[in-house]
Amino acid sequence: MPFYFHWFHWIERSAFSVWLRESPSALAFPNVLFLHTLAMGFVAGTNAAVDFRLLGFAPGMRLAPMEKFFPLMWAAFWVMVVTGLMLLAAYPTKAFTNPVWYAKFVFIALALVNTRLIEKRIFRDPDVDVQPVPGRWKLLAGTSLVFWAGSITAGKLLAHTYLRLFSY
Amino acid sequence: MQPLLNGLQAWLESTRLSYFMIHSDFAWPICECLHFLGLTLLIGTVGLFDLRMLGLAKGLSLKAMHRLIGWGVLGFVINMITGSMFFAAIPYQYIYNGAFQAKMVCMLLLGTNVLIFYLTMRKKVEVLGPEDAAPFGAKVIAATSLCLWIAVICFGRAEAFFKP
Repeated sequence: MPFYFHWFHWIERSAFSVWLRESPSALAFPNVLFLHTLAMGFVAGTNAAVDFRLLGFAPGMRLAPMEKFFPLMWAAFWVMVVTGLMLLAAYPTKAFTNPVWYAKFVFIALALVNTRLIEKRIFRDPDVDVQPVPGRWKLLAGTSLVFWAGSITAGKLLAHTYLRLFSY
Repeated sequence: MQPLLNGLQAWLESTRLSYFMIHSDFAWPICECLHFLGLTLLIGTVGLFDLRMLGLAKGLSLKAMHRLIGWGVLGFVINMITGSMFFAAIPYQYIYNGAFQAKMVCMLLLGTNVLIFYLTMRKKVEVLGPEDAAPFGAKVIAATSLCLWIAVICFGRAEAFFKP
């Protein structure tokens, strides 16, 4: 047994992990999954709306005020991180032994960098509402759509691709 | 009602679609991925439109923003198709499932809400400038829409935990 399985075992045996998995309370696992999904919708959805605008849909809509959605988007992002860590605490072996989990992690990292670039390069630009939208901005919008869709797809596939549920 | 539901269940279970959904290794996971991508399109377009009507992100013209709703409609169509495929595959998992029933009630209310919006508010909202506040009625419709979509996601997640 690889040494890190002892760590997974320690997490799986913790009261918090057991509560998340086994509590009949709807506040445990189902609620964490619900919040993770809702936050995912707001984060990826807000990004998608900005991306669609950059790609030329809804051209009459000004880009600059869209930044006002970002505080909500980042709040949802942190909800996603916290609930994601809780899902990880519930089933560490299931996640860390599945290659798809690492793919999801890479997609999210890329999507995150992409979103920060859109914030800094596009929304900080004094000519943010310039028409037509520059090609390099459209490229960022395209990669953003791919990375966020990749994160969602990989995340959803975790339920179907895991190789091992527990360390023992 | 009961014989009708039994008949529907028996018929769906006999379809090739049901067989395909249950026995294919890829059909169910792919439909789930599409269902979640559709959900995201809906929140990103309809959800943000609702938030703008509620007063967040002033500076965005609702008329111009409405051009994005087409993506939300696409998301809705994807989710209707994939959702129907789940339902056809294992109807007993859904027919007697309280969470699924609640989700369907929310969807009916959402449909009514959309209808009320387009019948009473569309013209009033279209003429608004980018900085204008939406009328009170539009705000009520927007808040109702947001709450119901969040409930749909909640019940959608809950229905998978129901074992008939």
